[in-house]
Amino acid sequence: MMKLKPRITIFHCINSFSETLLSHSDVTDNADIKYIKLPCSGMIKDVYLLRAFEAGADAVIVFTCSKGECRFVEGNIRAKKRVERTRSLLDEIELDGRRLSLFNINQKDKEDAVKIIKETLLKLKDIGPNPAA
Amino acid sequence: MIVGEQKPIAEIKESIAPYDKILILGCGTCVKTCFAGGEDEVATLASALRLAFKKDGRKIELEEMTIERQCEDEFIQEAAAAVARNDAVLSLGCGAGVQDIAKRFEKIPVLPGLNTTFIGILEKQGLFTEECLGCGDCQLAIFGGICPITRCSKKLLNGPCGGSMDGKCEVNPDIDCAWQQIIDKLKALGQLDNLRKYIPPKNWRASHAGGPRKLVREDHVI
Repeated sequence: MMKLKPRITIFHCINSFSETLLSHSDVTDNADIKYIKLPCSGMIKDVYLLRAFEAGADAVIVFTCSKGECRFVEGNIRAKKRVERTRSLLDEIELDGRRLSLFNINQKDKEDAVKIIKETLLKLKDIGPNPAA
Repeated sequence: MIVGEQKPIAEIKESIAPYDKILILGCGTCVKTCFAGGEDEVATLASALRLAFKKDGRKIELEEMTIERQCEDEFIQEAAAAVARNDAVLSLGCGAGVQDIAKRFEKIPVLPGLNTTFIGILEKQGLFTEECLGCGDCQLAIFGGICPITRCSKKLLNGPCGGSMDGKCEVNPDIDCAWQQIIDKLKALGQLDNLRKYIPPKNWRASHAGGPRKLVREDHVI
């Protein structure tokens, strides 16, 4: 049975996303969202993502700058590779890699950000809560 | 460096299942460089295993530690207290590291977390290639620094075989023809005459075929 409020951890590059994008949206009423700021999404490591699940997240989202817009050139490419690897690790331990996703986003894309959270909540209804939480 | 890769998590999980407290011991030299057994890999594996066991409703204590080298007693001793606190050691060292740890701590089971694959180099970021078989009788001077024993699929000492095409091996087109590379390199060095030398059949007694090898440096033995 799904908990009342799914827990979502968002790792985000400070140049691509800020929590204010979601602050006036009703999605925050339907999910317990934790934000982790990164100076660049390239700072993400496999272990940070896994530890978010250890800390009880039902889903983890990584927001990065769009292709070609990372000011550190390849941070978002590195983040994508690490997310893919961690997703396969989650599948390997049967936690379901679909709990982890990465999106390119822009500071102005409020609608996109809200849509992504809504879609994640819908996805969680199908996957269920984190069985290792 | 020694190149290795992590075993599948299911295999690791099965091997550590009989124990409640496990030390995941990384090695900070070769296998760290190939992203298989350094601090980051220890932390990632520990986290993945904690999640995997928790999902199964089982609590397991995992201690994380990485020492500089698992193949030298001086560094292994740093792990002695941590080893003593646990029921088993999951070593992310190469096969030599696993065995050295097992030798130093006789009463603690030491389990391998990696498959040791080859002696190689970092060709480019994320790509490791095999360069040496450790045959014990290095002939690289004749071959322009390119080892046909390791890099020619047919291990030809008097190549090329004639089957390569566009610099690629006929056995597998993903493999560069070692003999093409040897010829190109000897040409660049002005040593093409090396190709006229007949290389006699290799004496494999110096290799592992002669049994486990030992090197004694009397000048260092006290």
